[in-house]
Amino acid sequence: MSSSLEKNKYWKSLEELNNSPESIKAKHDEFLEGVVDKFDSSKLSGMSRRKFLAVLSASAAIATTACTDYRDKGEIIPYNKRPEEILPGETNYYASTCTDCSLACGILIKTREGRPIKIDGNPDHPINKGKICAKGQASILSLYDPERLKEPKFGNQNITWEEADSKIITALNNAVQNGKQIAFFTEKLFSPTTKKVIDEFVKKYPTAKVYSYSLISDKNRRDAWFETYGSSDLPSIKWNEAEIILSLDSDFLGVEGNFIENMRLFSEKREVVKKLDLNRLYVAEGRLSATGMMADYRIRVAPNQQLEFIYSIINELSNANVITVNSIIKSLVSNYSIEKFGSKEKINNLLKDLSSNKGKSIIYAGDTLSKEVHIAVNYLNELLGASNLYDWKNINTNSQLSSSKEIEELISNINSKNVEVVIHFDSNPVYTLPSSFGYKEALKNVSTVITLTESENETSVAGNFTLPINHMLESWGDASTRNNIYSTQQPVINPIFNSRQKESIILTWINQKYDVNNFKDFLYNNFNEIIYKRLKPLVDLKLFWQTTLHDGVVKLEGSSTPKVFNVSSLTKLRMPASSNKFTLHLTESFLIGDGRFANNGWLQETPHPVTKVTWDNYAAISPKFAKELNVEMNDLIEISHNDKSVSLPVLVQPGMSDTTINVELGYGRTNAGDVGNEVGFNLIPLIGKDLSLIIENVSVKKVEGKYKLASTQEHHSLDDTFVKDLHRVRKIIQEGTLKEYRKNPKFFHEQEDELVSITREHEYKGVKWAMAIDLNKCTSCSACITSCNVENNIPVVGKDQVLVGREMQWMRIDRYYSGTSEDPIVSNQPMLCQHCDNAPCENVCPVNATNHSEDGLNQMVYNRCVGTRYCSNNCPYKVRRYNFFNFRDHFEDAYYENNLTSMLNNPEVTVRSRGVMEKCTFCIQRIMEVRSNAIRDGKPLNGNDVKTACQVACPTNAISFGDANDINSEIAKLRKHELSYHVLEELNVKPNVTYIAKLRNTHSEDLI
Amino acid sequence: MKRTVLDYALKIRLPLTLFVIAVSFILTFYISRAERDGVGYSPQQPIQYSHKLHAGQMNIDCKYCHIGTEKGRHALVPSVNICMNCHTLARKDRPEIIKLKKYYEEGTPIPWKRIHKVPDFTYFNHSVHVNKGIQCETCHGDVKQMEVVSQVKDWTMTACLDCHRQPEKFVPYIQNIKKGPENCWACHR
Repeated sequence: MSSSLEKNKYWKSLEELNNSPESIKAKHDEFLEGVVDKFDSSKLSGMSRRKFLAVLSASAAIATTACTDYRDKGEIIPYNKRPEEILPGETNYYASTCTDCSLACGILIKTREGRPIKIDGNPDHPINKGKICAKGQASILSLYDPERLKEPKFGNQNITWEEADSKIITALNNAVQNGKQIAFFTEKLFSPTTKKVIDEFVKKYPTAKVYSYSLISDKNRRDAWFETYGSSDLPSIKWNEAEIILSLDSDFLGVEGNFIENMRLFSEKREVVKKLDLNRLYVAEGRLSATGMMADYRIRVAPNQQLEFIYSIINELSNANVITVNSIIKSLVSNYSIEKFGSKEKINNLLKDLSSNKGKSIIYAGDTLSKEVHIAVNYLNELLGASNLYDWKNINTNSQLSSSKEIEELISNINSKNVEVVIHFDSNPVYTLPSSFGYKEALKNVSTVITLTESENETSVAGNFTLPINHMLESWGDASTRNNIYSTQQPVINPIFNSRQKESIILTWINQKYDVNNFKDFLYNNFNEIIYKRLKPLVDLKLFWQTTLHDGVVKLEGSSTPKVFNVSSLTKLRMPASSNKFTLHLTESFLIGDGRFANNGWLQETPHPVTKVTWDNYAAISPKFAKELNVEMNDLIEISHNDKSVSLPVLVQPGMSDTTINVELGYGRTNAGDVGNEVGFNLIPLIGKDLSLIIENVSVKKVEGKYKLASTQEHHSLDDTFVKDLHRVRKIIQEGTLKEYRKNPKFFHEQEDELVSITREHEYKGVKWAMAIDLNKCTSCSACITSCNVENNIPVVGKDQVLVGREMQWMRIDRYYSGTSEDPIVSNQPMLCQHCDNAPCENVCPVNATNHSEDGLNQMVYNRCVGTRYCSNNCPYKVRRYNFFNFRDHFEDAYYENNLTSMLNNPEVTVRSRGVMEKCTFCIQRIMEVRSNAIRDGKPLNGNDVKTACQVACPTNAISFGDANDINSEIAKLRKHELSYHVLEELNVKPNVTYIAKLRNTHSEDLI
Repeated sequence: MKRTVLDYALKIRLPLTLFVIAVSFILTFYISRAERDGVGYSPQQPIQYSHKLHAGQMNIDCKYCHIGTEKGRHALVPSVNICMNCHTLARKDRPEIIKLKKYYEEGTPIPWKRIHKVPDFTYFNHSVHVNKGIQCETCHGDVKQMEVVSQVKDWTMTACLDCHRQPEKFVPYIQNIKKGPENCWACHR
């Protein structure tokens, strides 16, 4: 025993092992020599410790009482010369244009004391009519992003604008003299004045060449239109007149085309309250998109089989003599039969509907599908009379994008040292161009690489000059995306940092000198040229300019005649190469676009509408495919194609085609900023030089390791007997079919329990606030969630907190699956505080921090809350959110705790701190504003004037709000409608959010 | 049983001490209450502006300078350009006006000392009260008689609620006045 102890003696150092004399001494003394000095009391001061402390505390007490007044309340600093339009405490609105994507929606910016605090749609804008998407709502955070560039930079060195300008002008002149190219790299352009600035630049520096490239574009569609109708301008589509819509892998209600307008027009044909008017939506897709969730019938078709699918539809319809096809096509399609695609019943319904609704049905193919599919779809639409639904008065004008061949030429020019200057005009090609082009490596051959950008990105770190540009809320500009609309952009705040407008920088290089107003003047002159002279209004130019700025938009006379289908384009059609291998379908990220919003925490944290995953992208595959690969959610797989491979986590997605892998782009950025760096996985390297986002024949294998996806809603197993269709059993989701409803309008109200209350019912005599949400219209686009975030100062908590269920959004959209995992029926339901009359949360609060107001609101008083969380525990809807931390200083080491970002906060809403419960307030600040306006104007309070933030944001007008006691109001009618219901009605908590049950327009009476 | 020193300390001295502490605490609490609530607070202002002269003797309407009272949440301390409406001509030679003019010309705002303040989580709205016909004096006291403005009412939630509950007592000059809201979200949100 002792010998074994001896053997296993532990030692700290070789000296100890060898028993050196120093170590023996060190063991003896507690401290090493020199660590403590000898103590000599005679050297100390004569004052005792007690006396010292007494003097110290007395002097502190005297200092505090003598020098400050404990009643001091600070100062009020009024303006010296108050600007006429600004009244502190009151809101100002300015119309402008959102330039974050090429839709260029009209926006209305809410400012308080000169700082923008919210962006909503401009109601006067004829396209988006007062609505913008989640990205637009959240983009205000980018203005106050602490990581925006503050100074111009050369390499890592800050330089002045004058230095940068003079060096760049010299470089540009040298390039022209040496006959070397100046490459001007931009994203898709939609501003006529910006285009003109660039034209001027090319005139001044003749060796300049403009390249424009966007990762996500509708180039295939435009090219097909050019072939079939001779013009790549697209007519907009009258979705509100279509009875039958067949979408081929198109997310037109999600992110494709002008989706804000699409959603509005589509939802007009999803009306069940005012009149019963429903279209029927068929979706044939390989993934499950936001549009797919809205489908009455879904057919699973892999994206590489869409050409075959559309050929077989043409074949079937032609065999049934519904359409007469051209002989070229006849022979091409004759071999294809539709039977391989899904159940016979569905297909027959589709064919029957298409043949019986000629002129009222439309087929719409997705942007990622090939040009051939679009040509075939255009042809079939022509035969089915869908050209009726093309709105030739509203033409979506095109802005030419460079072909991949041109980009390859640019890169070979760079590599052969024929390019001296590259200007990245607010574009990020190092990230967005597939690495197979070798753009990043090529840039090393260019002596002057200039990047104009708001914050550092992959391209700016690869170049040398980095010039900070203004945010869209600090910029002048214009946009024209339709032939008959011109909208203007005006700054609502001075540039916060030492940045300049991007066009102004280019103008400086043209004019060789800088002037603050150079672009504003240029814009004004161009407005005179292209708008004022064209319209010839009766007022003078300056007044007309000012009224245009005020309105944000001018409507022009559009003249366009319907174009004729060019039959010869059909010769471009080929036999589809049939392949049953795995296809990778890359799609635009629903929330962060092509990656440009990666540094926006609000968008990263908004749950994806379909999968509810935050802060990540993933490989969505079907359950059957997952079984074949032997993987489940959070396992890693490796996708490889052409020697390139990416490993990423799996998300098992019901409703996917068994040969398709769907991954969203825009993630995995390396230089986006603290929030966006290394979030998710970058799939762009897998894209080939053809820039096609459908990549066929990829190989997939399981790899070792796990990854945690932060999902805000569980994927309930569809096969589990206990939880299967729980939402239907518990009547959380109540829905039916149109046929069933026509037969018996009260179909789900028949067996209702009589609810009794053991206490006296409270009577609401004055106003009583209530909300109604029409589930027929909700597309789960999440604009309401982000709008609520901005309005109510909701913090970003980060992925680690979402993983433990501590997300703070007051509103969520619940997504339920029913049916089979191959063919799921998806139900969406926005869920927020229900403001129950008999609220269960109120009874359990020990400090009465949550209680009821006389106008029917469930109030939450932050100052009373002591954080027991009993209320949240007792809430049947689970809509209460608890501040486990002070999330403003907790997220990523206090990322948002700085003077800049706090300027974003809505001053009408308290910023909550740690330990406090919070939840939806029905936008009490907006209610109180309407109330005070009513008192000011001496009018009675009208409930219809109150518009909650989510209601204003909803692109389909699914949300209504108002006074339930006002019998003439819309909300009172909705509450009485026979399709209305409350969630968990049997609890008798009497919620004040009414849901209008969804009707599915299928051929049968049964839902499943 | 023998009486001990300990007995005396426990039975007489301790209760007596506690009693004295309690009484002095209660007295101080009530006597100092008004001051702690801010009543009578009248700090020195950067410019010795007299409400008694302007609002009292010259009878200038409160809303001429406090332009926000009917329009919004804040009554607003006037910006310097409002003072200069008159003082570009009036009493240009007085030392306080020279000070004022200097502020105006330099473009620096005047750092007025704040007298009335509601806490951050209270969203008081002037326009609602003023548009209902409640006079400024009801809350701010007779400012027309004040050489230096001071707070006259205690600025507490009780003071607000007293009036919301019994408006007829505090604003008797308004006929048929209804009670003010007493729910939390009327002021806190």
